[in-house]
Amino acid sequence: MGSFEVTGVTKWFRPGSPVLSDLTFRYDGAGAIGYLGPNGSGKTTTLKLLVGLLRPSRGHATLNGIDPMVDRKRALWDVGALIESPEPYPTLNVFEALETVGRARGLASRDVDREVDRCNELLHLPPFGERIGWLSKGQRQRVALASALIGDPSVMLLDEPTSGLDPAERVLVRALLNRLKRDHLILMSSHQMFEVTEVCDQVVFLHAGQILLRERVDRVEDRIRSRQLDVEFAAPVEPGRVSALRPLAVEIVPRSDRRWRISFDGTNETRIQILRRCQEIGEVVQFSSASLVLEEAYLELIDTSEEAT
Amino acid sequence: MVATPKPTPAEGPGAVSRHFVSDFEDWRIVTVHQLQHYLRTNRFFGLLTFVAVISALTLSFEVSAGVAAVRVEQLYRSSEYLSNYLSNAGLWIILAAAFFGGDALSVDFSTGAGYYMLVLPVRRSVLLAGRYTAAVLVTLAIAGVYYVFATAGAVYFFGGASVPWAGLAESLGVSALFALAALSVAFCVSSFFRSPAAGVLVTVLALYVGFVTLATVFELAGIEPWFSLQYAGGAIDAVLDTDFIHQQTVPLGADQYYIVWVATVVEGIEIMAAYIAAFLPLSVYLYHRKESTG
Repeated sequence: MGSFEVTGVTKWFRPGSPVLSDLTFRYDGAGAIGYLGPNGSGKTTTLKLLVGLLRPSRGHATLNGIDPMVDRKRALWDVGALIESPEPYPTLNVFEALETVGRARGLASRDVDREVDRCNELLHLPPFGERIGWLSKGQRQRVALASALIGDPSVMLLDEPTSGLDPAERVLVRALLNRLKRDHLILMSSHQMFEVTEVCDQVVFLHAGQILLRERVDRVEDRIRSRQLDVEFAAPVEPGRVSALRPLAVEIVPRSDRRWRISFDGTNETRIQILRRCQEIGEVVQFSSASLVLEEAYLELIDTSEEAT
Repeated sequence: MVATPKPTPAEGPGAVSRHFVSDFEDWRIVTVHQLQHYLRTNRFFGLLTFVAVISALTLSFEVSAGVAAVRVEQLYRSSEYLSNYLSNAGLWIILAAAFFGGDALSVDFSTGAGYYMLVLPVRRSVLLAGRYTAAVLVTLAIAGVYYVFATAGAVYFFGGASVPWAGLAESLGVSALFALAALSVAFCVSSFFRSPAAGVLVTVLALYVGFVTLATVFELAGIEPWFSLQYAGGAIDAVLDTDFIHQQTVPLGADQYYIVWVATVVEGIEIMAAYIAAFLPLSVYLYHRKESTG
């Protein structure tokens, strides 16, 4: 099983304005870690530091215990990385582009064929003879993803892996990552909260180059209370009756004659009271958080952090 | 001390095993990868066609002038003909070196190519070596076309028996060394710049325009331009020149002279070797240090 670690990593491109500040985390074994943060928070910089595309200004990063700045070849030996928008030479065809990766990862010719076929089954690659320069953005992204998978490396560093993919392709990739995380270690940066919720077991929230929170996805909900509820009644409810919720709610918005969205202060006490009142109004068939907990957590953490600074 | 990663054994049906790849094997993989790319680029076809067309035109003018005229002009010597014809080989080599070396490394930091190649378990020095090898081979292919036309002309005008094959092979060897030197400079420029176009342009400007201008200025001042790679390229045709003169004094007027130097073969080889020794390690160092900040 693989591992990755950053220890006291600081990175600045100009003295005095660090992009990452004293970043430390370590993961090993198997699973998927979501790496979240707004644009410019340092997500991609961290991934680049891990694979040795950038040199830490302070601290060090390791992959499977090896610092890529010391021994790039051994550090990257069992790592698949998709960072920014990888572009194989446009003159090469799909097979040639993937063959180079497979050979560099130590596959024999026969096994390269098998691995490219395996990636094709997983990702529905474009025709192997098609030149990279002729592919659409989504097709190129699938080839880039295949390049990270070839040779079945134990660690995968994926920077917005579903960027440029259509909805069907995103579903395909999410299903693939969910399978892979059982016996691979995946670090995945993304802006798609739904994707992270669906794929990742743990999340790291990053803001302005510092870690705001590291937590299991299922425990984030305990820390961050959703402030919106969707309530669905068994039968249509008149707006006048729903107004009974006003003292508890910040805002009440009808979604249909049976469904309502209620914004509130997010506390468990108010949530319980709203549920009781709703049950008095009518038969409740659904009572749930309106938005993704992770998304709210993200926004709340960022807000709190910005207020603090 | 970190142990060499063990081969990954195949587990389960359809699983594949991996072996740790040696630097030599990596070099071969990168060379093939780069050659596959170069041989399909428009710049390769464009330059190859350009060299072929120019060479064919030169040859056709000579053919139309007639065998007798060419023989007189070339002092009835096949070697003289080849020497004169190949005096332009350096230009083609510099152009090819700029085209194939000028962006060989900067492409990793200005396009997504680096995010594809630099995350592979391959040392940067090996990546550079593979690309350098591919660039040398492609540059020699371009120069080779020029040599084919030169040889065809020599055979046509002087007969196959009179062609100095050993001298021709020696000239080709000096051309190869010149290509190595020119590509060392081009790779160094490429490792310094971030824009591929800038790398190509600066290489051409430095190796050709810059050196020719400087050499002329130095010659006017009566100084041998030994520092110029373009000057060293004179060794390519000097090998075949049976009336070789290293230093010529050309009268300009009353008591005024202009001294012209032509590099001797040994001098040319020394200059080329010095360029390789200086610029190739520098480009390895710069490429190794460069970060993907874009």
